[in-house]
Amino acid sequence: MLLAVLFTNTEGNILVERFQGVPTEERLHWRSFLVKLGAHNLRRAKNEELFVASHKSVYIVYTMLGDVSIYVVGKDEYDELTLSEVIYVITSSVKDACGKPPTERLFLDKYGKICLCLDEIVWKGLLENTDKSRIRRLTRLKPPTDV
Amino acid sequence: MASGQESSGTTLMDLITSDPATAASAAPSPAPAAAASTLGKPVTTDRKSKRATLTQIQNDTIAAAKALNPVRAIPQRQKKKPVSYAQLVRSIHELAATSDQKSSQKQLVQHVFPKLAVYNSVDPSVAPSLLMLHQQCEDRNVLRYVYYYLARILSDSGSQGLSPGGGIPTPNWDALADIDAVGGVTRADVIPRIVNQLTADATNADPEFHSRRLAALKALTSTSASSSEILEKLYEIVFGILEKVGDAKQKRRKGLFGKQGGDKESNTRSNLQYAALSALRRLPLDPGNPAFLHRAIQGISFADPVAVRHALAIISDVATRDPYSVAMALEKHIEHGGALHDILHLHDVLARVSLARLCHSLSRARALDERPDITSQFSSLLYQLLLDPSDRVCFEAILCVLGKFDNTERTEERAAGWIRLTREILKLPEAPSVTIKDTDNPTAKVNTVKPSSKAKRPQPLIKLVMRRLESSFRSFSRPVLHAAARVVQEMGKSRAAAYALGLYDVDEGIQLHAYSENAESLDSEFNSGSQSEGTRKTVPVSNGPGGMDTIAGLLASLLEVVRTTVACECVYVRAMVIKALIWMQNPHESLEELQSIIACELSDPAWPSALLNDILLTLHARFKATPDMAVTLLEIARIFATKVPGKIDADVLQLLWKTCLVGAGPEGKHTALEAVTIVLDLPPPHPGSMLGLTSVDRVSASDPKSALALQRLVQAAVWFLGENANYAASEYAWESATPPGTALMMLDADKMVAAASSRNPTLAGALTRLQRCAFSGSWEVRIIAAQALITIAIRSGEPYRLQIYEFLHALSLGGVQSQFSESQISNGEDQGASGTGLGSLISPMLKVLDEMYRAQDDLIRDMRNHDNNKQEWTDEELKKLYETHEKLLNLVSLFCYVPRAKYLPLGPTSAKLIEIYRNRHNISTSTGLNDPAVATGISDLVYGISELVYESKEAEKESDAIDPELAMAWAAGLEDGLWGKNAPAMEKVNEFLAGAGTDAPDVEEEENITSRPSVTYDDLWAKSILETYEAEEDDARSSGTSSPESTGSVETSISSHFGGMSYPSLFSSRPSGYGVSQNSEIRSGNNGRRFSNTSTGGPTLEGIGSPVREEPPSYSSSVLQRFESFENPLAGRGAQSFGSQDEDTGSHNPQFGKALYDFTAGGDDELSLTAGEEVEIDYEVDGWYYVKKKRPGRDGRMAGLVPVLYVSSS
Repeated sequence: MLLAVLFTNTEGNILVERFQGVPTEERLHWRSFLVKLGAHNLRRAKNEELFVASHKSVYIVYTMLGDVSIYVVGKDEYDELTLSEVIYVITSSVKDACGKPPTERLFLDKYGKICLCLDEIVWKGLLENTDKSRIRRLTRLKPPTDV
Repeated sequence: MASGQESSGTTLMDLITSDPATAASAAPSPAPAAAASTLGKPVTTDRKSKRATLTQIQNDTIAAAKALNPVRAIPQRQKKKPVSYAQLVRSIHELAATSDQKSSQKQLVQHVFPKLAVYNSVDPSVAPSLLMLHQQCEDRNVLRYVYYYLARILSDSGSQGLSPGGGIPTPNWDALADIDAVGGVTRADVIPRIVNQLTADATNADPEFHSRRLAALKALTSTSASSSEILEKLYEIVFGILEKVGDAKQKRRKGLFGKQGGDKESNTRSNLQYAALSALRRLPLDPGNPAFLHRAIQGISFADPVAVRHALAIISDVATRDPYSVAMALEKHIEHGGALHDILHLHDVLARVSLARLCHSLSRARALDERPDITSQFSSLLYQLLLDPSDRVCFEAILCVLGKFDNTERTEERAAGWIRLTREILKLPEAPSVTIKDTDNPTAKVNTVKPSSKAKRPQPLIKLVMRRLESSFRSFSRPVLHAAARVVQEMGKSRAAAYALGLYDVDEGIQLHAYSENAESLDSEFNSGSQSEGTRKTVPVSNGPGGMDTIAGLLASLLEVVRTTVACECVYVRAMVIKALIWMQNPHESLEELQSIIACELSDPAWPSALLNDILLTLHARFKATPDMAVTLLEIARIFATKVPGKIDADVLQLLWKTCLVGAGPEGKHTALEAVTIVLDLPPPHPGSMLGLTSVDRVSASDPKSALALQRLVQAAVWFLGENANYAASEYAWESATPPGTALMMLDADKMVAAASSRNPTLAGALTRLQRCAFSGSWEVRIIAAQALITIAIRSGEPYRLQIYEFLHALSLGGVQSQFSESQISNGEDQGASGTGLGSLISPMLKVLDEMYRAQDDLIRDMRNHDNNKQEWTDEELKKLYETHEKLLNLVSLFCYVPRAKYLPLGPTSAKLIEIYRNRHNISTSTGLNDPAVATGISDLVYGISELVYESKEAEKESDAIDPELAMAWAAGLEDGLWGKNAPAMEKVNEFLAGAGTDAPDVEEEENITSRPSVTYDDLWAKSILETYEAEEDDARSSGTSSPESTGSVETSISSHFGGMSYPSLFSSRPSGYGVSQNSEIRSGNNGRRFSNTSTGGPTLEGIGSPVREEPPSYSSSVLQRFESFENPLAGRGAQSFGSQDEDTGSHNPQFGKALYDFTAGGDDELSLTAGEEVEIDYEVDGWYYVKKKRPGRDGRMAGLVPVLYVSSS
């Protein structure tokens, strides 16, 4: 289960969040935990360098893309490596939507598009589409395979 | 959200709209008054008119919008003024009305919808406009957003799905509180309409509608699973689609996504297959439904890789519940060249992961025992996945081979997994199938294993796995390192399971045979399909041509690589590496390397406390897997205690001490206690000292906080030592071989010490440590040390008691202090007039000992008089003696727990006389004279009461008789349910062992370190009083905590404090009734009431809430012991009967038992046993039975002590 996908800016403000199966009262903890994790480790991180963390049986993979930090949290089959796949799909789609690793401004300008991409990537706590051209098609309401 | 933006003072909406270049649109300026008032108007309460209201809103919106030129409606940009949710919603209403205009569409797609996305979700009042757009608009981009928002409305659960942000910056979602007010439209109004409209879309076979059909189906699956009506509709749609497109045979085309060639029809079909299976995956599993399984299995052959992934995931889920049906349904797919083999080439990592899990479920399924042909095919496929280029898939395959699936595997399965890994051979059927390159997989690029022609050769799994892991450990990717270390950890778990079960008889050091010598036998073995562990004989592991290797060698070289990974800068990776090393550590291997790694690691201040506690819990788990490792693990735990005292949970550490001490067994007890208490030998931390940072024995508590924490830990250790030293040393006053008289002869202190240490070095060592603590260290430590000493004095026989007496006496005078403390570093405290500040504390202790010795002297004198005069003891004299006995017993019980029935404050010589008096007056051992029946003389009048009671108790005892195996599990701490439910750390440990824990982490604040629970000194006080009873009465707890002053001063709290804290003690809990009279004087009325409540429980006390459960049960888990613990002086008949039960068993109905194992006596009072020997159990005390044999054993002895666990009591 993909428990959470979170985007923050460099100051730790949350830009996008998608929780699945996380009780509302725990979300706050997750937000603080992840933001703190990023604050400690992402300062001098390279673009798309992957970081890993874990808490009990939950895995966390996070990275930096332009000015945006991306965190994914998962459990069970969504272990570190699957989360790496997920984050890879997300970063490539975000880059695709923004044309390059986004600045915060660029990210916000493409906010709607990014939300639609995310909607095609993570669907009810499961990874759905992984191919960025397919995701692009789907966000434009085109079928995955052209007819 | 507002709170979240505190730091920057802006909201996400501010951010989005702040840039003039892009803030163009914002929202329309406040709409015309008419429209606004309509929209903002609170609902009229008339429910009936809801629908009318909806239409009304729409009409108003349209009218308002038409009245204005929409372009004009969005006039000047409002710089830096964020649009509100209400404004956005209004824009949607307005623009929906004019959705046929290009400008409106542009406005929606570029400004309104993206900004609305900030709000995670929308409220139902937007739905009518969205539905209008859905019907009327044809622009794909607008429609995509419409589906997005409709899905969000459908999926909303609770609080309109508008998640409140809390105290951290979130894009949430400014004033949504008044959302409901908008139009008063509720979910209940709009959901049916949305569902209807989407259903119409999803069932529309018009090719024009193809993509809308897919999007609608997807949106529909967002419905919460609680609505059975909608679920039914969804199943209908999905199966309807699969009915039409599922059966068509088609070949999977190689090629990139979305670029597949092919005719329109097959592409349409493939898209529909994908949409249907994706939807099916989100629907609840329906394992019993053959149609469900059938459709999923068809999905394996679909063209769309994502569809195949979902199909496999569904099948592997079903396979865990109904493996037989799945295996039968997959029969033709698993054959060589079948669809399942094609998946090896499928470009989808998760699909291959699901394949691995499916293969695992089916190859292990008991239901398929009759079909070894099928299970072996699945095993073979699973082994092939070990060669997968993706680390994710390969690791999943390794875990499956190891028997790790979820967290519920039994030890047997894990053991079988290790055997499988070390003995099985992978033989590829034909050309290596793993030639695809996973270009999209970032992690696989680093470590692609390129199977050469070598891979065609049968390869032992272990070699493949080791090679793969070694290469993964060279990766630069942190997730890969973390995952690889995790795999090694799981490997260690399986290996430990194999050792634990004794299944694993292979010497890891033997040389493996070269492949060439065994190829044939391997082939035949492999082909015959005899894969089941039970029958499989050891297959030699080959090492390729010419190579000679051993499992031990492979493991060693792997571990070498693992160790180097500890250099990774990410603490999480390092933590996983340490856990892996702990699991791979075997009892007989040298510990030094691991120790120094951990010591080195812990010196790094970067470690978060949660992670350290996780490692501590790993030690627990490791101990449970291999109790033999108790001492090793304690050594490791010690490093935590000394290096990071402030960061670890002392409760968990103490529980580990306790479980390890018990688990160490008779021989290891001494070493285990040493390992715990070595903490006490540490020199005080030197602030700022950087010397010897990596040394195991050097304390690193450089800041005041951790110094404080270390001190608390030392207190805990001192307490632990006092409470458990007697257990570890197997020295109890009530079993002492030396009569007190003998000891009193040895008045020379030096001789006494020499005699003591030669007789029982464990106890002597503990005493030395405690004595040193009573002098050095902080005041708190000294107090606890004095208490620990008196506990040992009371519980031990001579000469220890005398030795402690002498020491305490000296301590109270302060005379010896200079001798002891010269070498110690003074902490600068005023140590009081006596030099220790303990005078007030020690004097009552000395008084008790004085009283005991005086009474003993008196008794000896009286006995001599009686002997000389050849006089019988009169009843009056006996009564006086018994009263003294009782009085002392009550006094002693104030200081520590002693088994009331066994304990003889007047010394062993008094036993006979006490017994006579008790029998004569039907006094139960435990309740003594406080028993109302005895006090009023009723007991004298009742004949044969003991027999009656005995009979009634016998039945109860029978039902409570403990299965020896259970007792074993108990002692080894393997049966969690039997641990005290109140043990604070137990929950954590259990949770960890169960692999639970998806709850949110606590973000560690700096302050947390000092406020870490459980070890504060105040807690010690509070706990000692309160926790014993907390299970019974909640109000008692509150009354106790509400008056901390009463426990604050030393004087008042001494007596209660001695009773035992909630720290793990090897004694079962202090019986509730002890010292009631004294205690109730001290405590408030509420507390008193608590006691009386407790004690009226009678036989029902044995419920879960009974005090004996307060702590983990001790080694001594026998029925007798447990009854004893319930004895209660205030109790009425019930308690009395409990009390008499023990005696009766001893005198009237001897208990018989049988030796389970050979036991060699370790001391004079112990008795050697041969397995199978019949014995008569006399009594039981703290983990030991006093048994009699029918004939003398090899040591010529007839009776003596044997560990409870060695005897099955019948």
